[in-house]
Amino acid sequence: MASVHESLYFNPMMTNGVVHANVFGIKDCVTPYKMALLVLLSELGRAGAQLSLLERRRLNRLLLPLLQGPDMMLSRLHKAIKESCPNLANSVQIRIKLMAEGELKDMEQFFDDLSDSFTGTEPEVHKTSVVGLFLRHMILAYNKLSFSQVYKLYTALQQYYQNDEKKTGIDETDMELTNTDELEGKMEKEELDVPLREEEISCSGPLSQKQAEYFLSQQASLLKNDETKALTPAFLQKELNNLLKFNPDFAEAHYLSYLNSLRVQDVFSSTHSLLHYFDRLILTGAESKSNGDEGYGRSLRYAALNLAALHCRFGHYQQAELALQEAIRIAQESNDHVCLQHCLSWLYILEQKRSDSCVLLEHSVKKAVHFGLPYLASLGIQSLVQQRAFAGKTANKLMDALKDSDLLHWKHSLSELIDISIAQKTAIWRLYGRSTMALQQAQMLLSMNSLEAVNVGVQQNNTESFAVVLCHLAELHAEQGCFAAASEILKHLKERFPPSSQHAQLWMLFDQKIQFDRAMNDGKYHVADSFVAGITALNSIEGVYRKAIVLKAQNQMSEAHKLLQKLLIHCQNIKNTEMVISVLLSIAELYWRSSCHTIALPVLLQALALSREYRLQYLASETVLNLAFSQLILGIPEQALNILHTAIEPILAHGAVLDKGCAMFLVAKCQVASAASYSPQKKAEALESAILNLNEAKTYFAKVDCKEQLRDVLYFQARLFHTLGNTQERNKCAMLFRQVHQELPAHGVPLINAFK
Amino acid sequence: GESLGKMAATAVVPGLGSSDFSDLREIKKQLLSVAERSRERGLQHSGKWASELAFALDPLPLSELPAAPVLTEEDARDLDAYTLAKSYFDLKEYDRAAYFLRGCKSQKAYFLYMYSRYLSGEKKKDDETVDSLGPLEKGQVKNEALRELRVELSKKHKAQELDGFGLYLYGVVLRKLDLVKEAIDVFVEAAHVLPLHWGAWLELCNLITDKEMLKCLSLPDTWMKEFFLAHIYTELQLIEEALQKYQSLIDAGFSKSTYIISQIAVAYHNIRDIDKALSIFNELRKQDPYRIENMDTFSNLLYVRSMKPELSYLAHNLCEIDKYRVETCCVIGNYYSLRSQHEKAALYFQRALKLNPRYLGAWTLMGHEYMEMKNTSAAIQAYRHAIEVNKRDYRAWYGLGQTYEILKMPFYCLYYYRRAHQLRPNDSRMLVALGECYEKLNQLVEAKKCYWRAYAVGDVEKMALVKLAKLHEQLNESEQAAQCYIKYIQDIYSCGEIVEHLEVSTAFRYLAQYYFKCKLWDEASACAQKCCAFNDTREEGKALLRQILQLRNQGETSSTEISAPFFLPAALSSNNTPTRRVSPLNLSSVTP
Repeated sequence: MASVHESLYFNPMMTNGVVHANVFGIKDCVTPYKMALLVLLSELGRAGAQLSLLERRRLNRLLLPLLQGPDMMLSRLHKAIKESCPNLANSVQIRIKLMAEGELKDMEQFFDDLSDSFTGTEPEVHKTSVVGLFLRHMILAYNKLSFSQVYKLYTALQQYYQNDEKKTGIDETDMELTNTDELEGKMEKEELDVPLREEEISCSGPLSQKQAEYFLSQQASLLKNDETKALTPAFLQKELNNLLKFNPDFAEAHYLSYLNSLRVQDVFSSTHSLLHYFDRLILTGAESKSNGDEGYGRSLRYAALNLAALHCRFGHYQQAELALQEAIRIAQESNDHVCLQHCLSWLYILEQKRSDSCVLLEHSVKKAVHFGLPYLASLGIQSLVQQRAFAGKTANKLMDALKDSDLLHWKHSLSELIDISIAQKTAIWRLYGRSTMALQQAQMLLSMNSLEAVNVGVQQNNTESFAVVLCHLAELHAEQGCFAAASEILKHLKERFPPSSQHAQLWMLFDQKIQFDRAMNDGKYHVADSFVAGITALNSIEGVYRKAIVLKAQNQMSEAHKLLQKLLIHCQNIKNTEMVISVLLSIAELYWRSSCHTIALPVLLQALALSREYRLQYLASETVLNLAFSQLILGIPEQALNILHTAIEPILAHGAVLDKGCAMFLVAKCQVASAASYSPQKKAEALESAILNLNEAKTYFAKVDCKEQLRDVLYFQARLFHTLGNTQERNKCAMLFRQVHQELPAHGVPLINAFK
Repeated sequence: GESLGKMAATAVVPGLGSSDFSDLREIKKQLLSVAERSRERGLQHSGKWASELAFALDPLPLSELPAAPVLTEEDARDLDAYTLAKSYFDLKEYDRAAYFLRGCKSQKAYFLYMYSRYLSGEKKKDDETVDSLGPLEKGQVKNEALRELRVELSKKHKAQELDGFGLYLYGVVLRKLDLVKEAIDVFVEAAHVLPLHWGAWLELCNLITDKEMLKCLSLPDTWMKEFFLAHIYTELQLIEEALQKYQSLIDAGFSKSTYIISQIAVAYHNIRDIDKALSIFNELRKQDPYRIENMDTFSNLLYVRSMKPELSYLAHNLCEIDKYRVETCCVIGNYYSLRSQHEKAALYFQRALKLNPRYLGAWTLMGHEYMEMKNTSAAIQAYRHAIEVNKRDYRAWYGLGQTYEILKMPFYCLYYYRRAHQLRPNDSRMLVALGECYEKLNQLVEAKKCYWRAYAVGDVEKMALVKLAKLHEQLNESEQAAQCYIKYIQDIYSCGEIVEHLEVSTAFRYLAQYYFKCKLWDEASACAQKCCAFNDTREEGKALLRQILQLRNQGETSSTEISAPFFLPAALSSNNTPTRRVSPLNLSSVTP
């Protein structure tokens, strides 16, 4: 809506209609609330000597927030004063009542009397004090009003008072904004016997500038720190639209609307809002300095940069790059190094999506340090660490780098980066297969948060680092067979990161992965298969891999093989080493399942070499297990036992429960196999120890509900007891075997031929 | 109940039931009577519209003039109050009029009562806007009367006590309260009850945003519907359909209607058929010399054609008639803009906006002025305001794009050009602008697509082909480049204008060289000769001619060596020979 007022913008004689000389951020405009404050001040002057020292002190402390804060309801103001000094509160209330129920001249008289406080030999209020400035501002603003404006102010005061009268009794703890809405909505409903639609109710009450600013900053900080506490996207958008309807020049509202659209992944309206925001911003920039560096040239650069960020967020990398180029060019033209630095970081992010060169990044870190941008510098270091971790650098070097950047963070108290750093450590430990360390780091971040809340008061609750850490925690618990705990964590994640939020995809993936694993353990392959689609949607590589696993489990060997070969080539291209090794292992498994152990061996050796090179301990151990198994089948159990001994330690220390079980099972098998050539005495000993190992494996398998493996173990144990002549134990095992066997569908895979 | 029956009886007059124009006398009678009734209710604009249209038809003999409406008992009771109130109303003393009309029961008096209250609220709102309490309250003033009016009118509406005018007022109130859906329903109802009232149709035009919405409406089948359809087609940029409708209205006997003539002129303006539009506007001014409406559009046309004396005359003329009209300010603004006095132009556009803040065109025009003054930030603001008033203003989107292009942000402005293009998919200017941006971003494939499309939809500025040719040239696609230049030259000469086109020489030069490379000596020398006609290519042309002559002399011997397939791949030659053959033919007939 274009009002006459707005056209004043273009009058070079006027400056936006807003007086800029506001020391305390008070806009020079008299509102009923401001009048109530004036009444308070004058009462304060009148009461003067009667107040006790304590009351006086409390009131003085109260005044500053009242002067600077947003307009509030009379009742709330009354309550605030009452807490400091009940007598004063009552006299303020009475004077406002007298004024509101009196005539216009009462208000006029009030303002006439106000200036008296400056006169006299010893004035009550000093002219340049905080209160004095406020008083003078108000008197000046009042004197500028025309008669009709004065009258309007008076009616507004009456309204203010009457609203409050009506309101007493209604709960007021909630935000005023929503409260008044509801109230007016109710009034409307009573007035009209026509049914009203929801939209009509919400578009009633306009906010004052201060209220609007407060609302915006509150919601923006909530969006950043704790999204769940912010208004829902739809409702927030409605409020913003309402705000913009009455205050079309409120540029910040457009930015918030941009953020809000991002929450719901709406490309179209977020672009629209972002550009609109910068269009509006350019005006305010132009006012401060016509076209210099600080003026709107600056917002132009950042406009382009933000656009790049937006496209990157939605995965439009080509467009993002174009926008970024533009930002870089404009920034270069105006020698804005800070902006250029930001651009450089973004450039790295974009490059990273395609190639893995880190020259840019190193350059960026150096430059950022040079220009004194610690935030960008350590963000760069963190990215570098991440990249080096994938490239197989040793843990101590990475941890050193992270430690150095941590020093930087603590120095500049960049709490957000500290969080990221810890989350990164968790992830790196996981990558290296050190679950205990990962667990420790994850717990550290989670408990550190409570520490920080005490110190700073800003609780960042929905950052990516938290999502990452919590997801890892869930997976770590699931690995140890604590499924209840894992699902508890996931439930918490769901609450903290609602499905529409930015980081929700993370837990969605982890949730499905965990469920997939459980279904596989359970032998419910069709259930596992149903998760594949979901996983693929979130991470295509992971999805394809899981599909292959399901196919393999369902004995569709050739399809699985085809899929894995394709995946292998793809992962080798994009240098996803972790996945390459996993795929190699699966391929090897396919080979030995088809009894081609000799073909499996080179594949396994390749996997082993890779995992050692990249220091992926966890995968290396698993490869060793596979190798040992192949050796067992190839008839060299002693050799197998030898290499098993190297692998068993890290597996027992850090591995998942399932792996522990498999490892113990394999050890037992090797023991039995190698015992064949032993003397009877020694053989019995070996078998006894194998039975013990099988018992351990059994407890591990029971923990993660692996019925199939459990059945195999029982069968094996029964055979061993039989060999040892322990009939009672044998029968027990046999019975248990039968029970489990009846529950499970029969499979074509020979029992002994599988270790997994 | 009873009064409604009477209303219906007076509303549904024979001949109105169908949309045929066979009985023009009947139509004229209806128009005269509805003009009278509108005026009685203070609906000046509808009255004006009906009288204008009636004026275009042949005068009726005395015997056939519509009789004065029969007064009912209720009317007679309210007559005194009504007469008094109407005179207050005419003097814009709305509150006073409403006061004396309270309690009146007759339809006419009741309408005037409600309408006075509505207008009083509107007037107060406008006054308040000027002295609100500082910038915070800006935009927060609203017509306080609306809510009460809605309550009362909705009660009456439920009880079915509203006549056509009453429904119209109810619709207006709903629209002002942003209840668009309800408003549309009520306006449709109003059109059914009283199809002759143009105001209701016009309100519908403002509320319907696309063709689909239009299709969904069930409208009364009367001859008024034809006027409505023609109008809304113009609004929705469906110019072909609109022109057809207007033509059939003229054929039906409304040839003298200034309203229709002006609408046709606006339609031609919208499809940028400037000459036709200009001639129609000139005709209109002859018939109706003191007309101010639509003159801003006329001035836009004069501006585009840089017709300074005509524009100056128009500005003087309008200024004499009424200088405090939005249209006048706009014409003067355009005049100053044409004289490159952009500050003054901006001032006049500002004045237009002060006269009517909802006058959309001025925001956009002001943006253009600020652009001329190189005040990009003010221009952005002005365009943004224009978009706020009307999101579908493609000129403002285009202007925003241009602004950012000037700020050297080709990627950034893509968004704005795209918006403009969405609104005017067949306007070549947006496409060319898009293409230029893509070219700057080095996205040559997209750029080529844009230029080609711009040519395909009918290029206004005739630049798309040259740009496309240059792109092909850049990409070493000489075949396509040559084809584009050929088409370009054909285009330029076929439209008959012998305007000095800068790029014609470039085209000939390229073609000459192209044919030279292909060793098509005849064509090459023809083109080279054309080159000689232009200053900047004369020397090159002469040099080329000499070379050709030289090679030709040798060529008698060497031509056998160079076989045709060497430079003409089979696929291409089959494709291109027709155009190649065509072009030299055409060129010979051209006299630059």
